[in-house]
Amino acid sequence: MTDDITRLMRLVEFSDSAFPVGTFSFSNGLESAAFEGEVYDAETLEQYVRTVLRQTLFCDAIAALNAFRAAGRNDYEEIKEADRQVILCKMNAEARQMLTRTGKKMAEICIRIRESELMKQWLEDILEQRVAGTYPITQAIYFQQCGLTEQELFVAIEYGTVNLVLNAALRCVKVSHYETQAILYRIGVGALEDYEQVREAGYEDMTAFVPEMDIMASLHEKGKMRMFMN
Amino acid sequence: MKDFTKCRELTPYLTETPAMRLGAPGKNGKLDLVFELDSGKKSVMRHWDRRAPLIVQQELYFDEGMPEMPCVYILSSGGPNVDGDRYENRFTVRKDAYAFISTGAATKIAEMVYNYSALKQTFVLEENAYLEYLPEATIPCRNSRYMTDTDISIHPSATLFYAEIYTGGRKYYQGGELFVYDLLSVCTRAFRPDGTPLFREKMVSEPKRKSVRHIGVMHHYDVFANVIVLTPEKDAGQIYERTQAFIDRDKGIAVGITHLPNRSGLIFKVLGKETQPVKKLIREFCSVVRMQIKGKPVPEEFVWR
Repeated sequence: MTDDITRLMRLVEFSDSAFPVGTFSFSNGLESAAFEGEVYDAETLEQYVRTVLRQTLFCDAIAALNAFRAAGRNDYEEIKEADRQVILCKMNAEARQMLTRTGKKMAEICIRIRESELMKQWLEDILEQRVAGTYPITQAIYFQQCGLTEQELFVAIEYGTVNLVLNAALRCVKVSHYETQAILYRIGVGALEDYEQVREAGYEDMTAFVPEMDIMASLHEKGKMRMFMN
Repeated sequence: MKDFTKCRELTPYLTETPAMRLGAPGKNGKLDLVFELDSGKKSVMRHWDRRAPLIVQQELYFDEGMPEMPCVYILSSGGPNVDGDRYENRFTVRKDAYAFISTGAATKIAEMVYNYSALKQTFVLEENAYLEYLPEATIPCRNSRYMTDTDISIHPSATLFYAEIYTGGRKYYQGGELFVYDLLSVCTRAFRPDGTPLFREKMVSEPKRKSVRHIGVMHHYDVFANVIVLTPEKDAGQIYERTQAFIDRDKGIAVGITHLPNRSGLIFKVLGKETQPVKKLIREFCSVVRMQIKGKPVPEEFVWR
């Protein structure tokens, strides 16, 4: 059992935007939403962030929590199933690209930080294209291997998603650091409720209803202007 | 029939309907349509099995762009879907056959008190089959609960154009009725004939629990269309290149397109303020698809549609 202080240190390390998996190069469609004038200030940004978060929680987080529990049981087939479900449910091509790129990067970094047979096998399977190796599933495996809890994994997913969009916003929306931090703080208030909504969910509960966001992502995919991958 | 009661979002709506029991005649519609080539290589509706309130009549050949294509309209003698109604459709298009299926009018989901209405659909497209499925819009009225569950089995050489339009409700009824339904849950899965999964999209909208007016969801739009095009990868690439993604603020329209997982095809989404412009864009997109696959355009829509 890893002690609380060590676990918190690891949680902060793996959730930090400086953890070099490349999430800083994605905006989850925010760049197009800002260009189209849909997101233009702190209030509209917060709405957009909440939409992105909801989509992530009801897809990535559900799969990640299932993969985390499977890793605890050393059930590799179930981990692969969770990874496959993430890809099946991601309708947007750039989103799939983002999740597989960052997932592979995370696996590469993780085996350099700490020895893990499971992670080694996962990276081999990613490189051999036997699995997609999505980011939330790689994250789930590593968190379990490092002795973190599933609540901590959930926090890393929620924080990571929100922070990714807010960091991108500082470069393409007229908002200040004060405002983005206030948004992050407010969203944190609902994190427990968010966790309760998805903790018991299975793959059949993975849903998304974000048509405008999907269209923004498509505009970005088809467009020539880009500061971010998406 | 699929056991919908296992779906989490339906948990609050499982009370039996007191007026007419679930599954009673007239509340459990069913269609089983099979299209195939006859001995003269003409595509025909070889088999049709129907249970009220769903009706289909003999296929017609009215498409001027593709007069050899059998066209079928699905009608419902029961009017709107009411509390506790269940529907089940199975459409099969055999090797090299082709068909067009639509509905005669919009599907209205009536106000509900106890239970929900559900539609289970299965599409089977064999080698080199081609199907255009373009039903009229679905209109979920106040307090309605509607769930669809669609399975698609498709050969890698076949093409399915599958379009759905959902409005926010009866926009011009009384003072206007938009997004006051209880639940709209739409799930679509596709597989290869050997069972290999291609994608799974599930959209759940519960406007009373979570506003759909947020940026990124419906925002300022009232009508949403989802079009799935399952087609060989080389054709999908051509269709993608010929299709624009755009936002037209003056007309209140937004359009996007992207590739589906596992190189299975494309997904095309449209948001609008009214149904007609959305329908027009879907038809234009269908024309691009038909031109790519069959080398023929989709004609102008009938003026009464």
